[in-house]
Amino acid sequence: MRTLKMRVAITGGKGGTGKSMVATAIADYLAKDKKVLLLDLDADCPNDHLILSVELKKEKDAVNMLADIDYSKCVKCGKCSEVCKYNAIVHVKGKSPVLIPEQCSGCGACIISCPVNCIREGKKIIGTIYSGQKGNIGLISSDLKPGEPLSEFVVKEAKEFARLKEKDYDVVLVDTAAGTHCHVISALTGCDLAFAVTEPTPLGAHDLRLILDLLKILKVPAKIVLNKSTVGDKKLIKKIAEEYGIEIFSEIPYDKAIIEAYSRGEPVKNECIEKIAGFLEK
Amino acid sequence: MKRITILSGKGGTGKSTVTASLAVMLSRNKKVVAVDCDVDAPDLGLCLGVQDKDYEWTPIETGQKAELDESKCVHCQACKDICRFGAIGWDKVKNQPVFNRLLCEGCGSCKLVCPMQAINLVDVENGRIGHAKTKYGFPIVTGQLKIGETGSGKIVLFIKTKAEKLVDKESMDVLLADSAAGIGCPVIASINGSDFVIAVTEPTPSALSDLKKGLKVVEHFKIPYGIIINKWDINEKFSKKIEDFAKESNISLLGRIPYDEDFVNALVNLTPAVVWNKKFEPVFSEILEKLDLR
Repeated sequence: MRTLKMRVAITGGKGGTGKSMVATAIADYLAKDKKVLLLDLDADCPNDHLILSVELKKEKDAVNMLADIDYSKCVKCGKCSEVCKYNAIVHVKGKSPVLIPEQCSGCGACIISCPVNCIREGKKIIGTIYSGQKGNIGLISSDLKPGEPLSEFVVKEAKEFARLKEKDYDVVLVDTAAGTHCHVISALTGCDLAFAVTEPTPLGAHDLRLILDLLKILKVPAKIVLNKSTVGDKKLIKKIAEEYGIEIFSEIPYDKAIIEAYSRGEPVKNECIEKIAGFLEK
Repeated sequence: MKRITILSGKGGTGKSTVTASLAVMLSRNKKVVAVDCDVDAPDLGLCLGVQDKDYEWTPIETGQKAELDESKCVHCQACKDICRFGAIGWDKVKNQPVFNRLLCEGCGSCKLVCPMQAINLVDVENGRIGHAKTKYGFPIVTGQLKIGETGSGKIVLFIKTKAEKLVDKESMDVLLADSAAGIGCPVIASINGSDFVIAVTEPTPSALSDLKKGLKVVEHFKIPYGIIINKWDINEKFSKKIEDFAKESNISLLGRIPYDEDFVNALVNLTPAVVWNKKFEPVFSEILEKLDLR
């Protein structure tokens, strides 16, 4: 029986504040005596395998539904084009509708609307789900195919795949993408706690507010991790922490050794990371 | 007229900082409009000293959400069964669907399948777009996704339409757009229609991996591009690796920007680096020369 069962997200709003750095470092630390499942849900730009030097193995394609029009039955009525909210079906009066696969979200509205049932469920590959292992760390990585817009569906597939494996682990760490839109929402949904990694700049502060607002809506308790705490202006983040009543849980100084380790592709070892990991252990 | 979009794949490589300084330098000889297409985390304005209160904002509605008319519901669950986004749950007590606003894409499948017309799609305000004049004389157009809403790609399209109006009205020479991190929907919306893409990277394995993914998207749209290596001296060996990759792949290297704490100081003071300290001017003017924009 595994005891510690929680899903912890590492997020932050702004890009490049050190989300993956923190996520991999915590995973590396906890893995000393725990089994850690790390989910890299930054499908646009997954990097955790690079930092941990884990070789990835393809598990499955991330597949989305794609409308498939049977032109032999089509009566050229244009209903499918009318109902499509994604402008994925173009119809000119009297002509056959034309599907733009990149735009199709796979919602299936066209299938319902077609009076002669000539639209079928096809599929398209929009990404790949990978897995890897390093000691006690199991890594599941989502990877969006370049040119495809729907990262959140790849994230969802990775989460579903991970769910089957979770029972073998003590803790699940979720590394999200930058930003606050659908793929981040999808990654954060269902997490018990989130660390918002930020930096002491007006940009870090601005985007921290956005992610804290999102976490509030999602009802995920948040803690702040202030990275590169020794450059810039710490007051900016302190003010937000007070305003939101959220503690700055840990501060990671700006340290050339950290940057160099990261730039070599190694998990960072640091007492601030130990504090976070120690907290999760308790 | 040239439309240039800045991209990076990985976040935090310095897209907005670089865009701000390029815009200021460009504006000395050209008519420029700066455009912030990072609606998830719009920061370009801050890099140019423009804060939230300085913009003239307009709310926008680019999305719709499903809503139930309880009086018409016959509890058939057809809506719940058809939703592919997992946005419809079932309230066992009331015996009726529960719509999860965060997951609802507004696709309308539930409305189409409902036998009682008990579901309506209502417009939702999912963001806002704004414009302002920077201290440096040129305008900025920005936008922001409302927290918890979807449709960032569509908001980007609104921002671009607004910027294009300015381009026409004031006969701009250059539209300089800063995109979001990543390669998904909002980034695709940002780079589509650009004449040139500048990819800003840094010497880390993560940044190079993300750069390559980002460039695949740019190639998908057949847009010419070049790269800038930011903070190149934090790992000179890895920078060399990126340069070799660029050479092998015939990618033009537009410039190398050193790491300097004054970039952070400039940022904290909401000032573009080239204005904060003139020592940064040469590196950015070289980039503009390479872009043939001096």
